[in-house]
Amino acid sequence: MRLVRDTIEFTANEMPRWHSISISGYHIREAGSTAAEELAFTLANGFAYVELALEAGLDVDAFAPRLSFFFNAHIDFFEEIAKYRAARRIWARWLKERYGATDPKSLQLRFHTQTAGVSLTAQQPEVNIVRTAIEALAGVLGGTQSLHTNSMDEALALPTEKSARIALRTQQVIAYETNVTHVADPLGGSYYVEALTDEMERQAEELFAYLDELGEGSMLEGAIRGIEENWFQGKIADSAYELERQLNSGRRITVGVNKFTEGNDEQQMELLKITGEDETRQRKRLDEIRHTRDQAAVDAALARIAAEAADESINLMPALIDAVKQYASLGEIMKTMEAVFGRHVEVPVI
Amino acid sequence: MSERILVAKVGLDGHDRGIKVVARMLRDAGYEVIYTGLFQTPETVAAAAVDEDVDAIGLSMLSGAHMTLAPLVVSEVRKRGVDIPVIIGGIVPDHDLEALYAAGIAAVFTPGSTTEQIITKVRDVLKAANV
Repeated sequence: MRLVRDTIEFTANEMPRWHSISISGYHIREAGSTAAEELAFTLANGFAYVELALEAGLDVDAFAPRLSFFFNAHIDFFEEIAKYRAARRIWARWLKERYGATDPKSLQLRFHTQTAGVSLTAQQPEVNIVRTAIEALAGVLGGTQSLHTNSMDEALALPTEKSARIALRTQQVIAYETNVTHVADPLGGSYYVEALTDEMERQAEELFAYLDELGEGSMLEGAIRGIEENWFQGKIADSAYELERQLNSGRRITVGVNKFTEGNDEQQMELLKITGEDETRQRKRLDEIRHTRDQAAVDAALARIAAEAADESINLMPALIDAVKQYASLGEIMKTMEAVFGRHVEVPVI
Repeated sequence: MSERILVAKVGLDGHDRGIKVVARMLRDAGYEVIYTGLFQTPETVAAAAVDEDVDAIGLSMLSGAHMTLAPLVVSEVRKRGVDIPVIIGGIVPDHDLEALYAAGIAAVFTPGSTTEQIITKVRDVLKAANV
């Protein structure tokens, strides 16, 4: 939380046009949450960061316009669109009513979207192009500011050049051929999508209420306790298991996995092979840097990080930037901070 | 006494959805399941497997490190004078399978494996290991 606070504070003061942090729900959904849980957990984290920055003495309108979000685009088309719409409604309401924002830009939720890696199948991977296209369209109709489309072979390996290009072309077809980008919120007013949006909002508010109570009126405390008590992790694992049971029982259909499996025994497509060469090349680059940099300056920069990390009142960002300029490696910087902060260890629950 | 299985994540790969789902599957199928948590090393996995006296080890691997880390788990286990079967589940391309079996991996579950396939195969592996 210290690093998030320092990032928001530093960028608000020094780089006001920079999007300070990307508050992510992508990994939450990929780990197995439902759409409503992805929505609620992500926004709850967003509220926690807002409260963190307010506690640091920042004015809400000084940093809120530059917070950004990152959502998943799963295969349940209308539910996903409703999720993005609900996210915007909730964010605007909370920023205005709970955190007293007055700049309209503080109320706007801007987000990146990535299609759902977890929805891709190893069976008949070409079909994943279709899944990705549908998911990407949901993101666009839901109003995303930027988009990442996954490649068809990502359930099997890192993507080949060709499959990554098809994923990009999928976006370009949506952007340049379909004209769907000519209008904002094209599904606003649809009785179905509006009802789904209301329902998403209701479910999210229920989860916020739990966290607010857990934190005794602080979403920051609630979010931290939710992690420490394995509440988030438990909910996500329960939902993941429930989805798996639905798939196993046939209550949920995935084409090529539990239905329409003809063709699954065809030979596997050409996949990207990662060789030891990549590792050797990176090690060589790192070695070269270590031999050509000013080691005394690196040591001094790392010592400064250690000293300033120990003092909660100091913003760590200038020391980090200095270390990077001196070519300290990410590993060296991490180890230095770990020595002061320690490392989060999750108690594994199954 | 029910058979014990250690499921583990080795290396920096934080994707633990699959391992948690499989752990629950195995538990529901009557096995006693122990999960190591994230960021383990081949040494810590082998040591835990010996300490807990497990009958099999399940490794969950997504990020492409299986060719490096899985054989190390096998050799660390054998170094401790035991022969606990090691099973992999995750993103493993077909072209890596032969080398993994040659390195002593007992079974590999690739994406889309069903609960039934996993349970059946685990049972076979345990039977072959004379548990």
